Amino acid sequence: MDQIIKNAKHYLRAVWAENIKEWKIELTYKPDFIRGLIDPLVYAIPYLLYGIALVGGRTSKTLQGYVGTGDLITFVTLGYVFIGFLNMALWAMGFSLRKEQYWGTLESVFAAPVPRWVFALGMAAHSTLHQGLMIFLQLVVINLIFKLTINPAGILPALLVVAVMLIALYGFGMMVASLTLILKQGWLVSEALASIMMTITPIAYPIAVLPLFMQKASLILPTTYGIMTTRHFLIGETMPFSVATSFFRLIVLGIVWVVFGLIVFEIIDRRTRRTGTISHY
Amino acid sequence: MKQTFGFKNDIKIVFAEFKKSVKIWLAYPILIVFWGIFPLLWVLPYVFQGKALVGGMSSMPFKELTGSANYLPFVLIGAMVSTYIFSGLWGVGNSLREETYWGTLEYIIVSPTNPVVVLLGKTLAEFVYATVNVTFQALVATIFLGLSLTIAKVFPVMIIIVLLLVGFYGFAIAFAGFTLLIKEVHGWVHTLEWVFYLFSPIRYPVEVSPITKAISTIVPLTYALVAIRGIILLNKHIINLWQTVLILIWMDIILLIAGYLTFQYLERKTKEAGTIAQY
Repeated sequence: MDQIIKNAKHYLRAVWAENIKEWKIELTYKPDFIRGLIDPLVYAIPYLLYGIALVGGRTSKTLQGYVGTGDLITFVTLGYVFIGFLNMALWAMGFSLRKEQYWGTLESVFAAPVPRWVFALGMAAHSTLHQGLMIFLQLVVINLIFKLTINPAGILPALLVVAVMLIALYGFGMMVASLTLILKQGWLVSEALASIMMTITPIAYPIAVLPLFMQKASLILPTTYGIMTTRHFLIGETMPFSVATSFFRLIVLGIVWVVFGLIVFEIIDRRTRRTGTISHY
Repeated sequence: MKQTFGFKNDIKIVFAEFKKSVKIWLAYPILIVFWGIFPLLWVLPYVFQGKALVGGMSSMPFKELTGSANYLPFVLIGAMVSTYIFSGLWGVGNSLREETYWGTLEYIIVSPTNPVVVLLGKTLAEFVYATVNVTFQALVATIFLGLSLTIAKVFPVMIIIVLLLVGFYGFAIAFAGFTLLIKEVHGWVHTLEWVFYLFSPIRYPVEVSPITKAISTIVPLTYALVAIRGIILLNKHIINLWQTVLILIWMDIILLIAGYLTFQYLERKTKEAGTIAQY
């Protein structure tokens, strides 16, 4: 038991060290850091203005009929804000090993006396904090411009849903990170996956408007349950499944994706060491 | 002061650079497939959002802003024209940075040719590359998504695109100089992409907000998109768009001269600072 506690402490220190290292590197490039905080805002606003242009205001009767709320601004904003965690998994976590390769530090990191998944958890900790900061700023600024209407009582349960969704996305991020070790220039895979997942996740629209095959595909994505249930708590979006079902499926998807991510990570790690390609650029 | 070997040699260099770029693309054929398909996939969320908000494929408030009620061709045209812009931004603006990655920038800089001539070769290559991708997108949009694009409309649309790109490539050449100076610009290119998405009617009519409407007037892409949509969706004749054409010509002249001078200045600054070879 003592050994387990000792190991856990040791691993947590490594996770924290990895997190701090990433923050230090980011804050060295301050203009780029600030730019990175503004980007998500610039990204979300065209979707809101597009909605206003279509409806001629911020309230849509059609949307009201689909999801029980007609406020397109709050609906679309919440969707785009929380899908940021998917981008975190795909780009920040997914490219963390590739970045270590660029910097020439991957071998040193992998030689540290901790399992490799501990390094992956460190990346996840940093990515979550960074994304959390971006989401907070996005919500504050969009609220100042458009005035969002949310149910304050739904904030805590919504955060709980996001936390469960994150577990699944960590597994996904780990898988993408390891794929970059064999694909090297894996941006194309991330870009393609991001495009497909962002299309079939009901971010700015209800699941009902998707073609049937996309509706079915969206049900295996944790982002579908994460975003719909978050909006359910915050703005009362009606869902084709209950909250309990959503939590249950999110937990199952979390376990499946994390286990799958760890297995892929382990296989690729072993393969790159056996084939001697870990240091290949 | 660089030696100059005359116009004929410059043309040879432009084509050598073009050939090099084509060889690099052909080494990654998957990229051509990606850029031919994915910009259209990026349009789908706008289609689904439209269906969720207005329940169909047309909207009267949208017609009041754009002249056309159907929002699908609006976003499709935005996606296709922006392919030219973003390929120019990455392929020309970021091209010298790529040479740094490949370890070949120093060879270009020390060769007895003006780097602007090399950039012209990259620009030509990027134009051809984007045209191949946009042609593929246009075929998909016409056959599968019902975009009405007749041969008679292609010629005036191409005139507008060329007028847009002449100035834009001037801007991209200046941006390439910027990469010499500040090196890592990957994030800045992304920011520029989002700025174009926000302040030009690629994905939504900028007239919906007085702020975006005002700022979009200094972006050439705004004029080009309004003209192209006018030709394709509203059956306008290019003669009736002479004011837009004139504005684009003026913007081309300004951007080309400013782009060239900015590049020369930034190249000189980088050489003086001795940071060309820095990563």
